[in-house]
Amino acid sequence: MSFAIRRTTELIGATKWFLRRECRVLSTLPEKTEEPEKVVARKRSTGRRLFKNEAILESRHIYPEFLPDPNPKWRNSLREKLERADMLQRRSQIDIPEFYVGSILAVTISDPHAQSKTNRFVGICIERKGCGLRAEFTLRNVVDHQGVEVRYDLYDPTIQNIQVLRLEKRLDEKLFYLRDALPEYSTFPFDMDPEILPEGTPVPINPVQVKLKPRPWLERWERQDLKGVSNIEEHLKEKDRVRRELRKTPWEKYDLMKQYRKTIPIEDQNDIWDEVHNQLQQLQMAKKKTVRKRTFVTPKTQLA
Amino acid sequence: MANNLKILCTKLSKLRLDHIVTRSAVFTVKYRPPYWYQPKERVLSDEYLTQDNKKFIEEFINDRKNTQQELESPLVNGTFQISQQWNRSTRRVGLVARKIGNYPIWSKDGKKMQTTLLQVVDNHVIKYIPPEEFNPMKTTELKWREKRRLGCILVGSETIDPTTVTKDYTDLFSRVGMLPKKHLFRFMVSPEAALPTGTPLFASHFRVGDYIDVRAKTMDRGFQGVMKRWGFKGMPASHGVTKTHRRPGNIGAGGEKARVWPGTKMPGHMGNRWRTLRGVKILRINTKYNVIWTLGVAIPGETGAMCYLFDTVLPLRKLESSPPFPTYLPSNDELIEYYDECVHPFADRTLTFEET
Repeated sequence: MSFAIRRTTELIGATKWFLRRECRVLSTLPEKTEEPEKVVARKRSTGRRLFKNEAILESRHIYPEFLPDPNPKWRNSLREKLERADMLQRRSQIDIPEFYVGSILAVTISDPHAQSKTNRFVGICIERKGCGLRAEFTLRNVVDHQGVEVRYDLYDPTIQNIQVLRLEKRLDEKLFYLRDALPEYSTFPFDMDPEILPEGTPVPINPVQVKLKPRPWLERWERQDLKGVSNIEEHLKEKDRVRRELRKTPWEKYDLMKQYRKTIPIEDQNDIWDEVHNQLQQLQMAKKKTVRKRTFVTPKTQLA
Repeated sequence: MANNLKILCTKLSKLRLDHIVTRSAVFTVKYRPPYWYQPKERVLSDEYLTQDNKKFIEEFINDRKNTQQELESPLVNGTFQISQQWNRSTRRVGLVARKIGNYPIWSKDGKKMQTTLLQVVDNHVIKYIPPEEFNPMKTTELKWREKRRLGCILVGSETIDPTTVTKDYTDLFSRVGMLPKKHLFRFMVSPEAALPTGTPLFASHFRVGDYIDVRAKTMDRGFQGVMKRWGFKGMPASHGVTKTHRRPGNIGAGGEKARVWPGTKMPGHMGNRWRTLRGVKILRINTKYNVIWTLGVAIPGETGAMCYLFDTVLPLRKLESSPPFPTYLPSNDELIEYYDECVHPFADRTLTFEET
């Protein structure tokens, strides 16, 4: 009996082996000779995919608000999806251009209390924060020797137009130190002409270093490791330098968990950009078309 | 001998039972849980199933799930007749929803409004218990009397794998021919608002612009001091104050009241209690994902918490016209998004104000 069972199992094993062979033959994959080539091909394809992915991942700098808040307490895939859909719908109505902290913008909003029912403000973007529909940015300017800052919601439907007058970055991620700097560093004329960069150039970084006014300051700038301030050492006492050394946290750049908690993992980002990228591209194409039309139209009006 | 007997008989006949001390064996029940309070969690053990058997079970469960998904609502296919019309005193069934987050939307006059998103996840009516059969615990007289005239509807949310829960819990559902649900909630309804088993409930059960009450468990904050729990002021940080910066201070007076009065605000456990937020306005409804946008961020619980949604009981915000009664019937002419008239949809043109 047991012999018979063993025989049958052997038979089954043989048939399985045969079937496997057969399948291999059917799939027409050569067994030994061309294996190394196949590996190379696979490597190439992954490399290409990575390259493509990197190109898509670059949009995290252009559209930072499409990435959700990394705090796991607030994550929910459905809510994020609905939020992104709403953002795209708003973007189909208004062109929200690419801009960074340090760029100079002109924002026109509809204002029920203004005389002409619209209000235009020009200023330098000193901060950009928030995820999803809560994304916001702050503009700063000096009007009549008085510093003015206006905070705008990026997806506010009362915003009629956002125009980038000068597209550039600064040396720091937040420019709050302009509040304590000399006023000429944050003064911009309201009738400034937009400076158009030739297509394909990378966003220039403005290496200007501002001069701070003497103390008192709004924050302890000396502790923040700022690159865009030139004269910070002039205003410091020995005590401040000692405190700065004591307060330094040089180990934090090695804290991998801290980095991880602050960022969205690359797999999640890929899902998000796969969902959004196409529509964003289409919106950009449409925008380019309208810009071309405008450039074509303007000389005619000048002639007339 | 006979004499003695006679004496005994006379004594016995004079015997009287006056004080009978009885100790009843029946104890009064302090709390009797309703029958659907069955333990749900099960210790998962290794079943030693073969791959084929595992696959078979998976297939079977998937089949059951699909058939349940495709089942038509008993209200549509005509097996259930709606007996009465809605009037102001009827109480409809509610929904079981999950809080999935907050984000701002803008109104037509350009104001930003914070909203809370509530997702109605896979809701089905499990059972209706008419008022005659429903036997609630006698609590306060008023509530109990009210419960006696109302029926009870069990609503389940989120179908789960029956092998992951106990048999007792699964039996609650399999007795009425349903698959077990992750959450099982109870709603008190008027008898005319009864619903048959297996009726799916959707977000369109409510309409845009209506007001609802939301009942959920608040965030669990653990054992907290008096400053966080009751908002006491504490004491100064300096100026000679030692060891008493966040303490409550005095908790009672002397004299006749030389004791701590009941109800004094003290440190203790904070949060994780059922709380109802009344009169929340619905601003927007998505029928594809069954999501409800409600005004404000005060809905109790953290993201992912489950909550009950009812028609509001506030007299000035109560429903005036008839809502979908007894619940919304699925139809083809439904839009994907519904907006309240005060809300500015993101797909609309940029808001502009005209001169008056």
